[in-house]
Amino acid sequence: MGHVSRRLYSSLAVSTAHLKHFPPREATLRTKKATFDPETWAALQPPPPSALMAFSHRIGLGAVLTTPAAVQRACTHKSFLNLHTRYYPLSPPPPNNANLAVLGNALMGLFASEHLHATYPHLPTRVLKAAVSAHVGPLTCASVAQEMGAVPLLRWHRQPATPTSPALLHSDALASIPRALTALVYQERCLASARKFVYSFFLGRRVDIRAMLKFRDPKRALMETVAKFQREPPKSRLLKETGRFSNSPIFVVGIYTGTDQLGEGFGSSLKMAEYRAAEDALHRLYLTRTPAHRLTLPSSTFGEDANIYNLTNPAPYTPGELGESEALYASSGRSGILAPRRRVLEVES
Amino acid sequence: MFRPRLPFALSLCCRTYATRRPEKPPARFPDPLKNTSNAVVTTLQDDNNLTFIYRPPPSVPSPHSTTLDPASPLLKPRIPSNGGDSGPLPPLLRPSSYKAEPERVSREVIEKIRALRLSQPRTHSRTKLAKMFNCTPNFISKVAALPRPQRKQFMGELKADHAAVRGRWGERKATVVAIRQKRREFW
Repeated sequence: MGHVSRRLYSSLAVSTAHLKHFPPREATLRTKKATFDPETWAALQPPPPSALMAFSHRIGLGAVLTTPAAVQRACTHKSFLNLHTRYYPLSPPPPNNANLAVLGNALMGLFASEHLHATYPHLPTRVLKAAVSAHVGPLTCASVAQEMGAVPLLRWHRQPATPTSPALLHSDALASIPRALTALVYQERCLASARKFVYSFFLGRRVDIRAMLKFRDPKRALMETVAKFQREPPKSRLLKETGRFSNSPIFVVGIYTGTDQLGEGFGSSLKMAEYRAAEDALHRLYLTRTPAHRLTLPSSTFGEDANIYNLTNPAPYTPGELGESEALYASSGRSGILAPRRRVLEVES
Repeated sequence: MFRPRLPFALSLCCRTYATRRPEKPPARFPDPLKNTSNAVVTTLQDDNNLTFIYRPPPSVPSPHSTTLDPASPLLKPRIPSNGGDSGPLPPLLRPSSYKAEPERVSREVIEKIRALRLSQPRTHSRTKLAKMFNCTPNFISKVAALPRPQRKQFMGELKADHAAVRGRWGERKATVVAIRQKRREFW
């Protein structure tokens, strides 16, 4: 398949049954100044209503997004307006998903962070942030949009980098679609339905939080953590060994506080086994999860009410366990919070 | 052929039998499936007389922990050590861990350390002071920290010395060290 035909089949194939005029008048004009670019014309056309309704039913929102206009609004990125006003300056600008995406992003962040914090009460803050990004961050939103099948429905226009803003990428534009859908579910139904939507598409994805827990010095981190819990300082003990002085030794080391074993690790050297034992001890602490039947979320107090600002009867709520915050070390007394930089005015001498 | 036989005279007065050479009985090993400490044997009382032996593999204890049953002793309520320990603990990893902790240093000694270190850090190095006052060089750093610019200067000099040493390495040595550092990344 040649390059031109491949492009036609992939992105530029435009269904024309729903268009009012086809072929477009500007394509057949025969004046000296007339220029017609079929690719730009194809990018400007709306997707067929059948595709939009099929998409809404495919993702299970057939009852929520009842009109093609609602789906189209969710799939139109605000960068599309630049392209539209350039070629159709007289027609009204199409509704876009900018406001919906902002609202949806806030909702997704709320649901993800409360769910993860309730599930892992002892997780350190930076790891919690990383896990939230892994679940509902921009890249995940873009891949969920691809899985939903929203790529042919997205209307956007590539923006190069300017001095005031970075370049707009395809994944950023795609990521706005699931956010807009979340906001639409919240507006049409209630917060509980929006939470269910986010859970089914985002929070059900498996994310390896263990791989996000990395330490520069796990032994020191464990020492500080154990001191915070007011236990005896950790001591490493050799549990098992084989092959010492050979080319493939194996050592199993356990770290104990008093008589309690905090963690166990193996390695091909004593130092490696001790390092892994310290990591294991910290993993056992940080990755303690709340069982599903005991999970209580603060947003469940809103119940099924459509209007969260005038609650008739808030649902009963028993707060979950509040975890111990992580012990910070080697922080030089600073909290790690970055203050906004003050602009230094250049003084002309 | 040359079986040990009794001498002819002795063989006349006592009976001998045509036995084999003394042999050990064949070794019978106990079934490890049944004889491990964590094997749970259940026999059905049916006609089949099926026996189930549940023997979980001796692997690392599961790191999965829940808030109801945390794997970390830090999250469990602290139980003071039972009277009469529950057995000896495994040996400590390093021989130096068996050395007794040195006595805590008093406040006057700390003031002395600070005075010496901050006045002449080059002559009164951390190791020298540690030997003098029976503590560790890290303790000297914590207790008598030098001002930041001086600290940076010393660190810069140390790094320059190390870089000079590394510059004198041959290709093989540098490769071996790089491999070791890379291996550490996979710990």
